[in-house]
Amino acid sequence: MIRNTRRLLLVLTAGIALAGSRAAAAPKAIQAFLERHCLECHDADTHKGGLDLATLDFRPAVSTNRARWTAVYDRVEQGEMPPKKKARPAGPELSTFTNLLGGALLSAERSEIAREGRSVQRRMNRYEYEQALRDLLHAPWLQLRDHLPEDGVAHRFNKVGQALDVSHVQMARYLSAAEEALRQVIAGAAGEPETRVVRYRTRDEGSYTGPMKFSVFNTAPERATFPVLGFEGQPAVRAGTAPITVGEAQAELRDLEGVGVAAGSYEPLEPKFQGFQAPMPGRYKLRFHGYSIWVGPGPTNRWFIPDLDTLSRGRRSEPITVYSETPPHLLRRLGDFDVTPEPAVHELDVWLLAGETIRVDPSRLFRSRPGAGRWKNPLAEKDGQPGVVFRWLEVEGPIRGEDSAAGIRLLFGDLPIQRGGPQGSSIEVVSRQPREDANRLLRAFLKATYRRPDAEREARRFLPVVESALKSGSPFAEALLAGYTAILCSPEFLCIRERPGRLDGPALATRLSFFLWNSVPDAELREVAEKGRLLKPEGLRTQTDRLLDHPNSRRFVEAFLDYWLDLRRIQTTAPDATLYSDYYLDDLLADSALEEPRAFFAELVRENLPASNLVDSDFVWINERLARHYNLPAFEGIDLRHVPLPPGSVRGGLMTQAAILKVTANGTTTSPVLRGSWIMDRIVGRPPPPPPPSIPAVEPDIRGAATIRQQLDKHRSQESCAACHRKIDPAGFALESFDVMGGFRERYRALGPGTPEPGVGMGGQRFEFHPALPVDCTGELPDGRPFRDIRELKALLLEDEPQIARNLVRQLAVYATGSPIRLGDRAEVERLLVRTQADRHGVRSLIHGLVQSRLFQNK
Amino acid sequence: MNAPFLAQRRSLSRRQFLRGTGIALSLPLLDSMTPAFASVSRASTAGNPGVPRRFFGICNNLGLLPESFFPKQAGRDYALSPYLEVLKEHREDFTVFSGVSHPDVDGGHPADNCFLTAAPHPGSGGFRNTISLDQYIAERLGPLTRFPSLNLGVNVQQGLRSLSWTGSGVLIPCEEKASDVFRRLFLQGTPEETERQIRRLELGRSILDSVAGQTRQLQRRVGSQDRERLDQYFTSVRELEKRMQMSREWENRPKPTVSAPVPLDPASPKEYMEKVRLMYDMARMAFETDSTRSVALLLDSVNSPVIDLEGTQLDDAYHNLSHHGRSEKKLAQLQAIDEWHMKLLAHLFTELKAVREDGVPLLDRTMILYGSNLGNANTHVTTNLPTLFAGGGFRHGQHLAFDTERNYPLPNLFVSMLQRLGIESDRFASSTGSMRGLELA
Repeated sequence: MIRNTRRLLLVLTAGIALAGSRAAAAPKAIQAFLERHCLECHDADTHKGGLDLATLDFRPAVSTNRARWTAVYDRVEQGEMPPKKKARPAGPELSTFTNLLGGALLSAERSEIAREGRSVQRRMNRYEYEQALRDLLHAPWLQLRDHLPEDGVAHRFNKVGQALDVSHVQMARYLSAAEEALRQVIAGAAGEPETRVVRYRTRDEGSYTGPMKFSVFNTAPERATFPVLGFEGQPAVRAGTAPITVGEAQAELRDLEGVGVAAGSYEPLEPKFQGFQAPMPGRYKLRFHGYSIWVGPGPTNRWFIPDLDTLSRGRRSEPITVYSETPPHLLRRLGDFDVTPEPAVHELDVWLLAGETIRVDPSRLFRSRPGAGRWKNPLAEKDGQPGVVFRWLEVEGPIRGEDSAAGIRLLFGDLPIQRGGPQGSSIEVVSRQPREDANRLLRAFLKATYRRPDAEREARRFLPVVESALKSGSPFAEALLAGYTAILCSPEFLCIRERPGRLDGPALATRLSFFLWNSVPDAELREVAEKGRLLKPEGLRTQTDRLLDHPNSRRFVEAFLDYWLDLRRIQTTAPDATLYSDYYLDDLLADSALEEPRAFFAELVRENLPASNLVDSDFVWINERLARHYNLPAFEGIDLRHVPLPPGSVRGGLMTQAAILKVTANGTTTSPVLRGSWIMDRIVGRPPPPPPPSIPAVEPDIRGAATIRQQLDKHRSQESCAACHRKIDPAGFALESFDVMGGFRERYRALGPGTPEPGVGMGGQRFEFHPALPVDCTGELPDGRPFRDIRELKALLLEDEPQIARNLVRQLAVYATGSPIRLGDRAEVERLLVRTQADRHGVRSLIHGLVQSRLFQNK
Repeated sequence: MNAPFLAQRRSLSRRQFLRGTGIALSLPLLDSMTPAFASVSRASTAGNPGVPRRFFGICNNLGLLPESFFPKQAGRDYALSPYLEVLKEHREDFTVFSGVSHPDVDGGHPADNCFLTAAPHPGSGGFRNTISLDQYIAERLGPLTRFPSLNLGVNVQQGLRSLSWTGSGVLIPCEEKASDVFRRLFLQGTPEETERQIRRLELGRSILDSVAGQTRQLQRRVGSQDRERLDQYFTSVRELEKRMQMSREWENRPKPTVSAPVPLDPASPKEYMEKVRLMYDMARMAFETDSTRSVALLLDSVNSPVIDLEGTQLDDAYHNLSHHGRSEKKLAQLQAIDEWHMKLLAHLFTELKAVREDGVPLLDRTMILYGSNLGNANTHVTTNLPTLFAGGGFRHGQHLAFDTERNYPLPNLFVSMLQRLGIESDRFASSTGSMRGLELA
């Protein structure tokens, strides 16, 4: 009692002393409540949870300080504090406190919002920058994202002004990226204008025919290619005693010639169509002639080595992944298809960069890796193994469309263009009145790039750039490019500028477009905005639907999930080559896993399915690889499709998708702590407190002596640890049923002494891991409700559907507005949830609700 | 007096070695040229203390025989391994690491492209490289010197191999000819070249000027938080302008001159060791004249034929030898090659110690990373990389031994190097911190 009084005095004295200059003390009623119920633990001596309320300033006008007090408010308001063991404050006392504190926080927040807006001005992030330049310059093939440094993240997203810094390195990269983009557009318009159709035969491709012959570097048939005529092997061609092709003279026979592989496209066997190099950036049609084949077995004791001369028809289709390649090894995934046992042509419509060649990877086939023993094809059977044959690639392109003309017209208007250089690879723009032309073109460029009326007036700022370039001897086109580069580096272009208060039409259009297309508004959206129709709810709704229904909304799905669900990090670690050799080098699995949540979420948006599907659904989006991975009925085909789940399946929802289980693990081990906290934060929307700084992570043990759970139990047995871990771990416990790549397991794996699991990995090396201790996937939620496995956990989480929807809205709000949900925003979110009750919080309805809300329509 | 001699004789003897040391610099040792520039460069890079520090990354893509390279004991009192015995006199100037590698950088030979980037899975589909350490440094320290970086190579498979990669994952080709490097470093460019370069920089500045103008105008019309963001924008525009101005100043400044004549390039890839030695010379001379702070050198041994080696007759190509399959004969030849690598390295260390800058041996201001993407070329493993780290003013003379089963991330060393260069950085690629056990002297 004496102690308390003394402290109260101290607090009061401090309050008085600071009242004048810093106004840092809380109102007396708040202080009194803290004194009675909080300071026993949260004072300078004990400062439990790192919180010392005795000396914490009360300055709600400062946003960081307000955030701390908001946390205090939340704990008290939600009944978490004071803790259960302590005396509860009386009802009126409690409500006085929360009203007072909440009121002070809210009014500070309101005045800040009135002054500054909810969100801080930001620059485009690199996703948006790439997309904006593609759209503006009519050049969908531009690859600019990786030109810029990775963006800062706040509240999980790359859309928050406070974290989107600009450094001189960033600025230098903007300069070079803009120039690169402009030059690419010109390159896309130069050169031979007509579309050509050329066939590139595998028999003419060195990288296909070269590996037919064995060399000092390769004596392995798995690392060789082989000649195929129809379904027959050609031993003479392989031996070099017959010519590699019958040639044009026997055109009909030649059309049956192909080159086969029994392995995927992986170092050192990397056949590609190098005869083709995209002459200029643009749109191309690629037609592949290929089919699957069966390659005979080696001699009895070496049956797993392919006999490249004994061939027959394929037994199933084979998934093919197509990449473009910029030497030496810059690969871009272009698309995929399945080759069937029946020879057929498969077409892909793609955008290529100048100089790119084409590489195809039969992605189910194995990749030979040296190791402890000789490699062995895991797909080999006693009577042979699968292979793939390609006859040719036919390229139609570049296909000149409206796009390439529009891009060049934006840059040079209707000025005459002269082609020069070899094959017309460079252009010159003829101007009789350079200054007038430059002024006119700059104005047009500004009108197109700046997202506001009257943008043309900025031309006077950039005209001197063009003029000084002309004066120092640059040709007209070059000088103009300098001016455009300046515009693309200017803050009016790069920054998304909004004024506090309600957004005007153009600003709202910009926000909507960056939300759903990750880019600047298109012509229709700009027009609707300028006419004022966007400010009306129906107009806004129509445009939201239009943007969501357009294929460009894929950009939203990808970028949103990349950050919300960390999908951008899916490649950060890979399954360990030894412990998880069954996943190692499996690009098809990795690619499919990444595509699944995108296809899944896109369906929720498209069909307006309830947000509860995020936790559990009665369907999945999978292809043949994922079906095998999930132990679901097998089918053939690389395309992902909607597949209904059998009753009682552990799959369904986000948590049990391979991608999610991958990004929440590393390549070697899983941790209930990391997974649990991730699920609570991203899916459930109750982010646990950050870990105390001094506690190291539990070191996983892969020798199989103890499970992570047993190790963790030691930690959890201490009451101080258990308090938080009760909130963090539960979901993680249920997810222990899934390994680092999301495969279902009942036992852990271990290396070291033990009998290895039989089998061979995709690299061709024998498994070295063996089954170890059993998985315990039971647990209980913080409120005490127990679950036996992931299915029961999902059911428990679904008892609070609005919370799942609430969390999605919170995530979407940061992504769409660049600011987290604040104290004063909460009521608006709740109203939104009420309004979407009818369709059980359909995901599309939630998006509409957010767009129609005050949060979205004000800065 | 040295160069004709270098040019005519192809292989290297002990005697030549001695005579080849210490090409005298007639003009600007750094001491004589810094004052004029110090005011611009040293003052203007925040967080970069005045002392010039450098990075030299060398990757031999066939590595070294692990059993002859790694010491058996850890710590300060380790016994020198056969290879390190060659470097005996420099024992206190280097640290040897074992049990380190780049996490998830696999795929065998293509991993050399990731030696300075640590980008995962260079052999896999959808691979895209990331910025290399030398370029990361060049982006930050570039304007302090005439050349932001040098990217050198020996017998490089051009267009397919390089240590040096841009931020967007584009390969920066290696300079293969020492004579070209020498010319760039020390011979004046044509007036047209200079003119063109100046024009480009001027254009860049005028672009930035217009951008700065607009930024300043926007700053006036916004709330305080938004203004903070624009202030930062404005600052970085101005900072970049300043850097361009510094680069422009280099164009009008005469290049340093050295007494050594232009080296004659060995005509054949067989003269591998001579090419390596010349590239070491180029790097040393570039550092001596403070022409750059960042040099990368790829020794593309994979792409090398049967090489000439003083004292040993080789009968197989370097790459084939590396697949020795434990053949005694091949191992002996490989050992002879590796020992020459160590000799050349010892020579480089000696020379860098002999040169003084502000009274300090140049080696103490030059961090040399010598290593490989392969832990054992015989089996193509990309773990347990042989790694030697010299100079830079660290407390060396030790063997830092990490777990050979679960390797320690080598990118942590990159972070330590960045910090040593005065670049504020706590992360590079897959790093988890700075190098454990490595301390400043």
